[in-house]
Amino acid sequence: MATGITNIDNMAPELPLQFSEDLLSTPQFNLIHSFGCDLHFADAYIGKTTRMSRYERLSTDGGQLDGSGIDPAPEVVVRTDIDATTEIYAKTVVINEQVTLFENDKVLTKFTALLGQWLREKEDLLMRDLYASSVSYINAVGGGGGDQPSRISAGDVNNIERILLSNDARTMLATNEAMDKFGTAPTRDAFIALCSTDLAADLQGVTNVILKSIYPHQEGLRPEEYCSISRFRFFVSSKANKIPGASLLGNTVYTIPMFGLEAAAKVEQNGYTSILGYRPPYVVSSVGQNSQLYAKFAIARAITNQNWITGLNVTASN
Amino acid sequence: MAFTILDGGSFTSTGAGVKIPLPSSADYFRTWNITQLATASPTAVVGGEWFGAKFGAGASAANSGIRWKKSGSSAILIDSFSTSTASDGFTYVTSSPVVEAQAANAITAITAANPAVVSQTNTYSEGDFLRIYNTTGDLTIGGMVFQISTVSGSGYTLLGLANVTANGLAAATAGNTRRISKFAAVEPEFMYISNISQATQAVVSTTIDPTNYYSVGMKIHFSVPPSFGMKEINQLTGTIIAVNAASASGSIGAYNVTVDIDSSAFTTFAFPLTANSPTKQLFATFAPAGAQTSFNPVTLVQTGYDFSLQPFRTGQFTPYMFLAGGANSPAGANADVINWMSYKLES
Repeated sequence: MATGITNIDNMAPELPLQFSEDLLSTPQFNLIHSFGCDLHFADAYIGKTTRMSRYERLSTDGGQLDGSGIDPAPEVVVRTDIDATTEIYAKTVVINEQVTLFENDKVLTKFTALLGQWLREKEDLLMRDLYASSVSYINAVGGGGGDQPSRISAGDVNNIERILLSNDARTMLATNEAMDKFGTAPTRDAFIALCSTDLAADLQGVTNVILKSIYPHQEGLRPEEYCSISRFRFFVSSKANKIPGASLLGNTVYTIPMFGLEAAAKVEQNGYTSILGYRPPYVVSSVGQNSQLYAKFAIARAITNQNWITGLNVTASN
Repeated sequence: MAFTILDGGSFTSTGAGVKIPLPSSADYFRTWNITQLATASPTAVVGGEWFGAKFGAGASAANSGIRWKKSGSSAILIDSFSTSTASDGFTYVTSSPVVEAQAANAITAITAANPAVVSQTNTYSEGDFLRIYNTTGDLTIGGMVFQISTVSGSGYTLLGLANVTANGLAAATAGNTRRISKFAAVEPEFMYISNISQATQAVVSTTIDPTNYYSVGMKIHFSVPPSFGMKEINQLTGTIIAVNAASASGSIGAYNVTVDIDSSAFTTFAFPLTANSPTKQLFATFAPAGAQTSFNPVTLVQTGYDFSLQPFRTGQFTPYMFLAGGANSPAGANADVINWMSYKLES
């Protein structure tokens, strides 16, 4: 028998038990790594590399005409090109006909939902890897723990804000205006920060942290959001990046990318963003016994402006 | 449970570790050392087997697996790579960050020299990447990644580290290392900086050989905390005009790139003193910031755009099987012919 086929030996039977009226939830981690990036599209038939270009601003030095009639020297315009290679990812599930014939019903529908979930989860991890690999990070030093990096502190977060502001980065999220509600606190227009759920306890201990529950408005907030510190809104995921054994003392280092608008890009291939397909038994199997579901998508990713993204390395207290 | 053979191949060992990409993953992996099987009485591993997580309690531990060996006779002995006398075996790597689960290994000294020389009993291979941590006497390099060269069983050289006083560093008497992947999950990757010269075209020392990651015409963005002295270059972006063109000298290491940034009037670059760890910010790094072409009308030479290095793309493919190198490991000794096969379980 071929590899990886779902059959009645590895699929639990539905009968003679009765199924509850609803399926239990399939675990899904928080998808936090894509919503802060720009979305671009690549056309088919013109190569697998997408170029994103930016004209750099002109120098503001000099420029005054002194009446001598001498023209100012022209400035050569500089264009920076950011290239990204499109890659294709796929997942497949093979189902033996005996599953539906003898035991389970409507598995194709259920498995299609699983493949859809895989699409988004895989995309999220690919964007996470981009932030983990191709961005400069600074070690936190203001927190406790005696390690290098330290735990997260307000001073470290403020330092990242200073860097982004000094590089003319633009905030991504709007101000949460104060309201006449007891116990609430406004949040400023903010950059975003993406980090591991392992840091939840440490985030709560940062000076002047504003937990999501005391934002003046709760409408429209993403469930992945955890808190606001200084000029950053923090989003958490169990799959956020961490590097085992990378601190001075050999502890796990958590990397927190922190960025504003147009810092990173996700490039989707037109017509290939998310493909779900079905191959019937007469195609998959010579005796028509196995059918197949598949999902695939194409993606390219890039850091488009290093001035507007930086990151913080921290260790955790737990 | 039926097996399906997914893939197989053969390679001639260089004595170094080998990565076998496994796009469809694997539940069982097998190697044969064809050369040593045909040798009468070697002291060498002649085969290895690895069992994946589906085998439950029988699954192979990281850097282990079943070891088939000859020990000075034609008889074949079977044990595991982790039993005494232990040797490195199979490591199945499924996700990024791509850290190979090689055991931590103790350093006994890092010399105060350029290049720094590390004393350590090891089974590393030429060009391996190591993360150094738990250092004593050189705290501010703890956590950085270095490429090693001139490797022997008792030590190696760090061509990317000028471990000298002028660079703020000193000899270390202890530490630990762990081998990591040579490529990040995504390339081009950020790089650690070990020094920056004061020159009209700054020479930037890196801890690993940049030739496999950066080329002339690519732009890099600097992140240099004030604790490293040369705060003026922090957050600047420069274009690479040469790779490994400068010789090691003073605080400049043999791995370097030259950029079009005039650093001659900048403050001297030096690591924060070890006594200031962990309160001073680390690390100095640069990250990829695109590319810019240029055309020289005199020489008619156009530079820029290396499509093998410049675009953002997947670096280290996962999953893969890492076969440790050496006579007592699955990837064999130099010139050994190794056959391998990967299998999947039906369920």
